[in-house]
Amino acid sequence: MSLLFNAGLLPVIYCLGFLLAFSLNQKMWQIAKGTAALGLAATVIALGSAPLAPATVNIDTLGLTMALLIAFLGWVIINYSFRYIQGEPGQPRFVKAMLFVLACVSLLVLSRNLAVIIIAWSGSSIGLHYLLTFYQERKTAQIVAHKKFIISRLADACLIVALFLVHSSVGDFNLDAITTYVSGIETLPVTLNIAALLIASAAIIKSAQLPLHGWLIQVMEAPTPVSALLHAGVVNIGGFVLIRLAELLSLAPAAQTLLVVVGSVTAVLAGLVMMTRISIKVRLAWSTCAQMGFMLMEVGLGLYELALLHLVAHSLYKAHAFLSAGDAVANTKAHDFFTPTEKPNSAVWYVISPLLSTATLLATIALWQQVMPSLNLPLAAIVIVALGFAPLLWMEQGASTKALIQGLIKVLALSQLYLAWHLLFAGLTPPIANTSLALLVWVLASFGVLYVAQIWVRHAPTGRFAQALYPWAYSGFYLDETFTRLTLKFWPVQLSPTQAQTSVNRHTTKVGEKV
Amino acid sequence: MNMPMEKSSSITTTISQAINFACDTIAPTWPLDRMIAVSPYWQRIDKSFADISTELATIAGSPMTMDLPYYKDLWQKGNIKPQHLQQAITEAQSPATAEQAIVALQQTDVSPAPAPLLCDALDNQRNLQQLPAWCDTITHQIAQFCAAYFDRDQADWQPDHQQALYASWRKALARDHSVAVLIKSSDIPNKALQLEADPELQIAKALQQLAVPPEHWPSYLQAVIMRVSGWASWCAYRSFQANLNTNEDTSLVDLLAIRLSWECLIDDNRRQHDSVWAAWQNDWLDHFKHAKNHTQNIHLLWQRAHEVSYQNQLFQQLTSATKHKTVEPKIQAVFCIDVRSEVFRRNLEAQSNEIQTLGFAGFFGLPISYTPLATQATRPQLPGLLAPVINITDAGNNPEIEHDIKRRRQSKLGNLLSLQAFKTTPASTFTLVETLGLGYAGKLIKRSLTSTAPDTSSDSLGLSKADASNLRPSLDKSLAGDLTAKASIASQVLTGMNLTEGLAPVVLLVGHGSQSQNNPQRAGLDCGACCGQSGEVNARALAGLLNDEEVRKKLAENAIVIPAGTQFLSALHNTTTDDVSLFDTEKMQQTHQHELTNVVKYLAKAGQATRQERAHNLGLQALADKPEKLTKAIKQRANDWAQTRPEWGLANNAAFIVAPRHKTRNIDLQGRSFLHEYEPTKDLTGDVLEQIMTAPMLVTHWINMQYHGSTVDNKRYGSGNKTLHNVTGGRLGVFEGNGGDLRIGLAWQSVNDGNKWQHEPLRLTVVIDAPEDIINQVIAKHPMIKNLLDNQWLYLARFNADKIALYHENKWRNWANQE
Repeated sequence: MSLLFNAGLLPVIYCLGFLLAFSLNQKMWQIAKGTAALGLAATVIALGSAPLAPATVNIDTLGLTMALLIAFLGWVIINYSFRYIQGEPGQPRFVKAMLFVLACVSLLVLSRNLAVIIIAWSGSSIGLHYLLTFYQERKTAQIVAHKKFIISRLADACLIVALFLVHSSVGDFNLDAITTYVSGIETLPVTLNIAALLIASAAIIKSAQLPLHGWLIQVMEAPTPVSALLHAGVVNIGGFVLIRLAELLSLAPAAQTLLVVVGSVTAVLAGLVMMTRISIKVRLAWSTCAQMGFMLMEVGLGLYELALLHLVAHSLYKAHAFLSAGDAVANTKAHDFFTPTEKPNSAVWYVISPLLSTATLLATIALWQQVMPSLNLPLAAIVIVALGFAPLLWMEQGASTKALIQGLIKVLALSQLYLAWHLLFAGLTPPIANTSLALLVWVLASFGVLYVAQIWVRHAPTGRFAQALYPWAYSGFYLDETFTRLTLKFWPVQLSPTQAQTSVNRHTTKVGEKV
Repeated sequence: MNMPMEKSSSITTTISQAINFACDTIAPTWPLDRMIAVSPYWQRIDKSFADISTELATIAGSPMTMDLPYYKDLWQKGNIKPQHLQQAITEAQSPATAEQAIVALQQTDVSPAPAPLLCDALDNQRNLQQLPAWCDTITHQIAQFCAAYFDRDQADWQPDHQQALYASWRKALARDHSVAVLIKSSDIPNKALQLEADPELQIAKALQQLAVPPEHWPSYLQAVIMRVSGWASWCAYRSFQANLNTNEDTSLVDLLAIRLSWECLIDDNRRQHDSVWAAWQNDWLDHFKHAKNHTQNIHLLWQRAHEVSYQNQLFQQLTSATKHKTVEPKIQAVFCIDVRSEVFRRNLEAQSNEIQTLGFAGFFGLPISYTPLATQATRPQLPGLLAPVINITDAGNNPEIEHDIKRRRQSKLGNLLSLQAFKTTPASTFTLVETLGLGYAGKLIKRSLTSTAPDTSSDSLGLSKADASNLRPSLDKSLAGDLTAKASIASQVLTGMNLTEGLAPVVLLVGHGSQSQNNPQRAGLDCGACCGQSGEVNARALAGLLNDEEVRKKLAENAIVIPAGTQFLSALHNTTTDDVSLFDTEKMQQTHQHELTNVVKYLAKAGQATRQERAHNLGLQALADKPEKLTKAIKQRANDWAQTRPEWGLANNAAFIVAPRHKTRNIDLQGRSFLHEYEPTKDLTGDVLEQIMTAPMLVTHWINMQYHGSTVDNKRYGSGNKTLHNVTGGRLGVFEGNGGDLRIGLAWQSVNDGNKWQHEPLRLTVVIDAPEDIINQVIAKHPMIKNLLDNQWLYLARFNADKIALYHENKWRNWANQE
């Protein structure tokens, strides 16, 4: 009963699709499309009937939200792939791996058992391995998949130890049991503190945070829908698992600190690197890296509803961005239509604009509070959002009253949207946890630095600051090169002789030919 | 130790010549938003196809024909017959016999390897099953650097563009530790500092350091530049554009210096017999010794035999066609010479005997560039070989309306632009996601659902529907008051189209454009004669010009009379859906209502028939007999963001026929022929023919060779797999995956349907309806054409009474049918 209302059928449907695809190779696409449509329908029905559920049934709104996201993305990506990779020899492998990953991820988001969650997490990573090496002959694809494989196993190790520690304290893998146990105590025992730290580390590793981000940046070696699946549906699992364990995490300051520090550093550095990228897909990948950092930072700050909003919204945004990456040329052409005027001396607006946007946002909140006195937005969120709105008021086309009003209208409109989403997601997650002042200061400083750095680069692109920092940002701060070299040294990939051939001397393979 | 060299003394003429020789082999590539077809072999036409085929195989490992299994298949299916093979052998005066050629089909085909460089010798000593290869790492470093250097559209934060390519690279490498970290070679930044500051000096120094003997310089430098042939083509484009504007651009030499410098950077300076250098020397000599025994002769014989089989069929069709009875036309329609027009024209003519169609380059001879109203987005609307003379823009129905539209558009575009900073600045992207991110669910649903919507013109950005319908591209403003200039353009165009007399009441000027979504190479499917744009602008501007009463009066003074009852009507052929839309019909609705109704009816029927004809190759054969379903499926395809094969473009092109249409009207040319209208009896001096042979013929040859290169060598002259395409620099080109060299040419999906090649790589057969001496006169006057013919880059034939004569080694001989 509870299973039905909670979309428990979704992993079952994917699983059946996966098994069917094995037995009926000829009809694999019909199976895949049917599975995806059925999965989406089942989830939507579950969601629609959730309010009708008897009081005895516990509705897992967080799990349902995620299940809807997965089912929706699964439907979009499978339908897209069906036409996109027509004519490719590896299609059966693609279909099976895709359905397997979806089965794992949907099981993961719906399960109430930590052990099942961790096994499904590992399973999704293995399924993904087959998708990343869709073009088996591509050397870079192999090396990237290898790097990802190592990192994932490292994360698995963390998780297995954490699982053991949790069980030794709580005596159960059930999430409800863990929540009950944690709600009864003020401070965590050391074992659970370490467990929380390990789970946070695993989430960091699997969310491609610096310096272990390289594999995420280089997965352009697989077809576009694989990138979409990875960036929208798999890389964010770490954030979800942490939100699942919010009660535990809220009592684990070490884990929180780790998440905030790694997340914010990644968000800032990856954001800067993103500005230097020259190809569309690599830019999108660095963007994901930064966005995941931001989401983990929100989790670390105890802003669970914002983290969940970020996770879901980013998935949709990034899936669309990857699947429509081919529009880059049309967008560039459209950009030609804009005629930027000679830059007026707008430096002062770079400073005034965040103040104005903060004022607008605060005024909006004050207004909303008239209706909803309980509405409360943490300081960190207000500052970051206001800094984000600032470019709408830069008026780089020339300051004028009209431009200012247009800008303010945009800020105002987006503020309403922001508050609306905030409220919607607040009901889905555990409440906001307290955070230390030190972490708050750290976060505000980080984003202050990012804001200053980006306007400095924008205002004086040929200045000394921009020129000195550029080589570092361009090279991604050498983090991935270092990691790759260490990988090659300590756990080298073993390529087949064909895969090892250099691109100019490759004789045996043609496009689409098997290794 | 590192004394700067004196430039004048050390750059000998031999070095300069070798540098020029290597750089001159590279053909340009256009940016993606103007992706016109270019022959990748264009710079090599002064040598024969056969010689270049051997040279490219040896130097770059690039084949110029298909592999033997491809021909084996054609042979076994009987597409290539023994007599075709025999003719190929006879023509080539080949020492090989037919038996030998057939036996060769059974052998395993070894694809050619490129001439080895020092980096290859170094890689041979590395365990590549575990370690990154130098040769790939070098390509990656250079490709990424070039992208950052040439990019103006993608990155928000760009490197300093002030210095030249080589100088900038040298400076960057001295500060870049990526390669040093990746392949444990910490001395690279230091070594970079010691490179010569001048690219040519550095090339000279490198040749000296690596001890390359002078007689090998040309081949060696060519082998070096071919390792980054994608970016080299981009540099060649820059130089081509600079030349059009009588400037100079030296980035190609810079690129050569960069790639060659890498050979020095990885050199350990050891010269003992067990050194890497010594191993490379051996490999190099071996390679060329070996190459002599591995000519491409057998491949070339089969390539030619394949062409003979096609020519045989084509010539038979041309000589046995029933002559079309000429009727006074009620409707004339001028189409682009594009092979896709052939199918549509044939189906349109089938609707009524009163329809006459003509072929002419789709820019209709207007030497224009176009700037959409209230923007600065000027773009050429003429073949890439030419520089625009007139810049035109949109005109409104009256100045006040136009002024209002202009104001509205500027405001809308400014508003959109102010959102750009919000969308791209790093600190804002987090807020962007948390405010607008969920809205992308709507976009995902919308784009996942099928749609049969017509194409929306990218030129209407910032215009409301009503505003867009009040504007049309026009020559009026650019040539305001200059009636003589207008009349002179009109007269040139009409003469070129052979439309100076016998005009029908309705003359359609049909441009063409494609419709696809999410397709970086869309411009490659648009009108090449309009520089990869849709032909709408040219068609509308020209119709406006020819309908202008003043212009007509002026023309009449020069003895070109356009009857008062004749109206020119502009149209756009959507080559993906085979729909034709009409423009600016308001006036005709009053004066020519009956004709207009007929035009619409005929075009719709012709579109239907064309779609049915194309259904098979689109994998829609099941719908061929269900017109409505077929139309729907094709329109959905044009709107499908996941479609990698929206249409087949100019795939399978093989012939160019320059003749009056009645010579070909009753023949099914299977969409493989470019068709140009030409009436020899009106061109006794050969001036028009000269123009056709020096412009449209080159364009068709370029297209033919682009498809050829993308098919026979998709690795180098094609852009690989579309599913991996990663647009670089917003429009510069694509990378396949993470990086590697810039990819040029057509994607594998554009020439292959997953089961078989949709393009048969055959050199173009040009058939002209003109007297021998007139053609000979043009050939004699233009060495370039002589090169193309003598070196067999294309074939030339002419109608000779009821036979076809083929030009071969300066002679014309009648084609003997071998069936």
